[in-house]
This record gives sequence, structure tokens and C-alpha cells, in this order.
Amino acid sequence: MKITRRTFGALPLALTALPGAVSAQTGPIKIGVPIPLSGPAALFGDPALKGARMYVEEVNAAGGVLGRNIELVVRDSKATPDEAVRVAREMILKENVDFLVGTLTSAEGPAVSTIAKENKIILIAPIPKTDQLTAPQNLHPYIFRTAANSTSEGRSCAEIMAKWADVKKVAIIAHDYAYGQDINKEFTAHLKKLRPDVEVVDSQWPKLGEADYTPFINAQMSKKPDAIFSAMWGGHFVTWAKQAKPLGMFDAVKNRVVNGGEAGSVEATRALGAEYPFGIIANAYDLPSYPGEPEAHKKYIERIKAFTKEDPPSSWPIMMYIGMQFLVEGIKKAGVVDNDKVAAALLGLTIETPIGKQTMRAKDHQADRGEFYGEMIKDPAGGAAAVMKDAKYIDPAPFMD
Amino acid sequence: MFQLPDLTLILGQLRGGLTTAMFLFLIASGLSLIFGVLKIINFAHGSLYMIGAYIAWYFVHYLTGNSMLGFWSAVLISATLVAVLGGLVERLLLRHMYKVDELYQLLFTYALVLVFSDACKFLWGTQSVSVQRPDALSGHFTALDVRLPYYDLVIIVVGLLIAGGFWLLLNRTSFGRIIRAAAQDREMLGALGTNVSWLYTSMFMLASGLAGLAGALVTPIKGIAPGLDVDIIIEVFIVVVIGGLGSVWGTLFGSLAYGVTLALGILVQPRFSIVAAFILMAVVLIIRPWCKSQYAALAYGVPLTFGVLFLFLPGSVPVGIAIVLAVGVLIAQPWRFLGSART
Repeated sequence: MKITRRTFGALPLALTALPGAVSAQTGPIKIGVPIPLSGPAALFGDPALKGARMYVEEVNAAGGVLGRNIELVVRDSKATPDEAVRVAREMILKENVDFLVGTLTSAEGPAVSTIAKENKIILIAPIPKTDQLTAPQNLHPYIFRTAANSTSEGRSCAEIMAKWADVKKVAIIAHDYAYGQDINKEFTAHLKKLRPDVEVVDSQWPKLGEADYTPFINAQMSKKPDAIFSAMWGGHFVTWAKQAKPLGMFDAVKNRVVNGGEAGSVEATRALGAEYPFGIIANAYDLPSYPGEPEAHKKYIERIKAFTKEDPPSSWPIMMYIGMQFLVEGIKKAGVVDNDKVAAALLGLTIETPIGKQTMRAKDHQADRGEFYGEMIKDPAGGAAAVMKDAKYIDPAPFMD
Repeated sequence: MFQLPDLTLILGQLRGGLTTAMFLFLIASGLSLIFGVLKIINFAHGSLYMIGAYIAWYFVHYLTGNSMLGFWSAVLISATLVAVLGGLVERLLLRHMYKVDELYQLLFTYALVLVFSDACKFLWGTQSVSVQRPDALSGHFTALDVRLPYYDLVIIVVGLLIAGGFWLLLNRTSFGRIIRAAAQDREMLGALGTNVSWLYTSMFMLASGLAGLAGALVTPIKGIAPGLDVDIIIEVFIVVVIGGLGSVWGTLFGSLAYGVTLALGILVQPRFSIVAAFILMAVVLIIRPWCKSQYAALAYGVPLTFGVLFLFLPGSVPVGIAIVLAVGVLIAQPWRFLGSART
């Protein structure tokens, strides 16, 4: 085609009309997924993405949503806010994605949230925990979180700690960055409310990625706490536990340690094997099985085992599985692929997930996602790794505000 | 207001600081050696350390098991394989970089960091893994109410052995003489008939082997996961810098200064654990020109760092000022001028 002045002039018009024209009609619904797939955060990004992929497979096999298939557009966010923002923009502008479901770290989530706001595109954050993401000053119609946040997690841990009547002196160890500070603050405030007689005698603030926790552990033990609250997570928990055990820390507090940060997940128990500090209380987003689990969870676990070829399966796929589920149920309720209408439909929406009912609170766009807590014991079935005894799902709804 | 902690706690912290120091020295010694002889700032040293950790885990997990024999053979295999890998890197890639600008060398070794980290992810996945201590090393001594795990003692002993071994190698062997000569003037050494090219390769292999050894040795006390490489490299650089680039003894004392500052620093300012090491580095770099040697700069730098920490502690500002002034006077030695005026 020869470019005449007329066609040239019509080009911008055609370009502006194009995205709307394509996305609003038939063809698949495109969902952009910015998630870390390289670097340390891939530890969680990789398995989480598998949850999204499995969910999409299920939905498409059942005929899709509103008669349309779902297509994932996945980009590596490299766990940095800059890169997450860049790929999110690219997916919106070049790939014409209809929605975003993704981000992992507490730095990426709020950064991509601003892009969602700018472009009026829904972002469902399935993993970031920082309270900042949905704090009143940062809240906008297009951001939703299906993960727990540092408030609900910190307070859940305080609820457990408060039940140990003979504990009077508590020590805290958390990394010196957003998540560690937030969870520490919420834990301390909630514990003070529940148990005014308890005193926080020590706080240690190692940096994220600290290689040697020995000086911190030693300084903490010297304050002779009765119990410890730890927010060590992932590989950091593994390192901390391995170093604390020979120093006698867990014995000194008679294993009265409440550990947030998913230290009870399959990933942590597998990494530590027989060196796991048995007897502590830890949490996890998902477990291979738990007492009183719904039939839906048993089925989910069977499917995810087959899908990821892992047994026991990772505890992270469920995060993006539920994140995607919220979005799709929102689209179904709205009856149309339109960000404003789906965003409105998500407010107060209750859905049936593999771990039971979850509600997206209208006031702060935060799902009432709790976690499983329980004592970590040697596998009674004879396996090397720890398992959670009498895992209990703590519903944070009563103390989220 | 700061209260002086009891002796047991200080001893316990010093013990913790010592393990931190030796742990860093294991890694930093190789980095320092490469800088001293090859004049290359090798960012990828942390990657070699991470690869060493993964290889050791792999062997313990799939082949040797974690008996004493199994563990130590895995450590040796790992150090050897990483040394070979280092040799390949030097022979095939790095040797083309000696002539170019330092900035490009830095970029090049940083590129290696990215390549190695993705290679590790590809080979070993993203899961956090770890090695159990051999049973014989899982106990601990108790002395003066301070627990010293056997394994920490192993790290301390290996660190001291390496420091001693380096000293012997550099000062008591003809190979050491050649290394020192290479550090001084590589072209003259080549002109005198030494095969400098292979000398460089062997030095790089030795340093890589040390990184691999350090990686293998930390597997029982650390979770191994992607990110291990970048987490450690900054600390190791601080140690090498405050020890005076390229000096093995300097690196040893730099590690000790770092360990002591971190361990005792958190007693003064728990929230400052992150910056204490950076304050130490800044202080040492600033006072170095007024000190006779790097060791003197370290010896003054540690108390000065504590002075600075006290400055930021409510109620202890006078203590901080007193320490800073006292150390300042010791460094400046104003009485020198009195003496020179009289003569």
C-alpha cells in the first residue's frame, strides 16, 4: 500500500481504535503476569506461576469465561520495582492485556499498583504482604490483594503467643526492611493489647541476606526471653535455624518460638530435613493436607501434584491460583470484560477456593486470607522432614482492622 | 543510656564475631589474592562460592552422604571442581581482559555473576537446600558459659590454616617469590623467563578453589539458595577494602575487625547492624592517610566506629564524643609537632 497523506492521517485514529476494538470483542482474555522468574525471588515466582497456569488450563477446559479462553502473558519482573513496572507497561501497551495478576515482593507490588492506577487496569497482587500496598493513601479502585498482609500475619502470630500464659518476656528477630518492620510493629502492638503483662525484652534486626546470625542469636539469648517471635523467611529461615540450633537457642526457650514468613511450608521443611527446629510454631499458606480439609482442597492437591510433578507439592502455586480465581469470578459476576465493572464486582466478592471461602473486603480491597499455623514435629510417618501437627487455619477477619 | 553488658555476653559476642570473621576470611582471601596479583576486581568470586556450595550439596545429597568421610570428600571435590572452573574462566575469558580498562573488567566479572546465577538456577533449581552437619560435628563445647559449636571451631581452624598456609606460600617458597614479583611488575617477570600466563591461571585457580572450599564449608550452617552470591559479595568487598587491597594478612585482620564490629556493635545499637560495617569502612578509608599502616588504621578504626555508634545513641553522646576525640588524638599525635619544634 502506498502511504498517501490521507492514509497517513488516518493512522493515529486507527491505532487508537485498535486496542479497544480487539480486546472488547472475541479472542482470548489476556492476563498479564509480572512475576520474578530469575534471581532469588524465583524460588517463589516459579512455583506460584504454575498455580496460575494450572488454573487457566482448568478454566479453558471448562469452556472459558463468558465464552472466551484465558491467555497468560508472562514476563520476568526480576524482583525489582523498576523492571516490574517496565514489563507491566509493556504488557499493557504492546500486548494489550486486559488485566494484571502478579508481582511478588513488597517493593514490586506498590510500584506496579501505580501503573494499574494510571492505566485503569486491575492488578491482583497474589503475594506481596506489605501493608503499604492497600493502605488508605495508596488505595485506588484497581488494586486488590489476595495474599495475607503483614498486619494479619503479625496479629495471627501474636494471638498464638498470647496463649502461652507463662511467657512474660518475648524477644523478636526480623530483617531490617519493610516486611520485617511492619510485621514486628503489628505483632508487638497486638500482643500488648492481648497481654499487657508481656514485655518485649529484645529486638534483633539483621539485614536481609545476613550470612551469619550467630552474633544476633547470642545477643538475643543473653536477654533470657521466655519465647521468640521470628519473621525469618525462605532461605533466611533455613540459615537462621541451622545456626541457632547448635547455640542452644531453641532449647533455651523450650521451643516456644512463633515463626511467621511461611517457615512451616514444604519448601522450608524440605530444605532443613532432620535439622528443622522441631517443636516450634510456624505457618504456611498451603499444606499437602490438613485436618478437616474440604474435598476441594484434596482435589486441588491431587491436580497440582500431577501438574508440577512434585510430591509433596509446593505451597506457593495456591497463591496465584486463588489470585486468578478471584479475577475470573469477578469477570463472571460483572458479565463483561471491563476493568471498571470487574473492579466493582470484586468488592465484597466471596468465592469458593480450595481452602474454603475467601472474601475480598470492599473497604480496603484486601482478601481475608489467613494462614495455617501449627506445631512442627518429626514426620510420624517416618519421613525425614518436619510436618505441621494439627494445622489450624487462623481466620484473620476478627482482628484485621 | 548504654549499660556495659556482662563479661559472658561480651565473650559470647566475640566468639560470634570470630566465626563471622573467619567465615568471611575464607571467601575474602581468594578475592584479595586475585586483586593482589592479577589486579582484577572479581565480582564473580561470590558466584564461585555459591557454585562451591551447590556442588558440595549435590555430592553430599546424591553420592557421599553426610558422614565425616562423605562430607569432607564432598568439600574437597567441590573445591577442586570450582578451581577447575576458575581455571577455565581465566584461560578462556578473563585473560583477554587484562589489558582493558578496569571499568570493563568490572562489567565483565559482573556479567559472569549473572551468567553463573542463571546457570545455577538451571542446574539446581530455585529451591533452598542445605546440608546436615556430620553427626560428629554437631555438638558443642561450653566454656565460661559460652557455647562454641564444634562446627564453628572447624571454620575458625580452617581459616587460620589458610592464613598460615598463605604466609608460608608467599614468604617461604620460590613460587611465593614469583607471585610477589608478579604483583610488582608482571612484564619484567615475563622478560626474566617466567611463564606469567600460567602463573596467572594457577593463581586464579587457587583463589577459585578457596571460594569453592568456603562455599562447601558453609553448607552445614547456611541455607543454599539463589542470591547467595550477591548477598555475600558486598561484605567480602568491605573486608578486602578495609584490609588494604591485595594483602592476605590485611584481609585476615579486616575480617576480624568486621566481625568484632558487627558482634559488639549490635550490643550498642541493635538497629545499626547494617550500617556498622559501612561506618567501619568509611572510617578506615578516611583515617588511612594519617596512619602508618593499614593495621594501624584498622586498630584505630574499630574504636572510632564504636565512638560514632555511641554518638547516635540517646544519652551516650558524651561517651561517643570522648571516644572519637581520644582516638582522633591518638591518630593525629599532636605531640610529634612539639618534638619537631624543639629540635
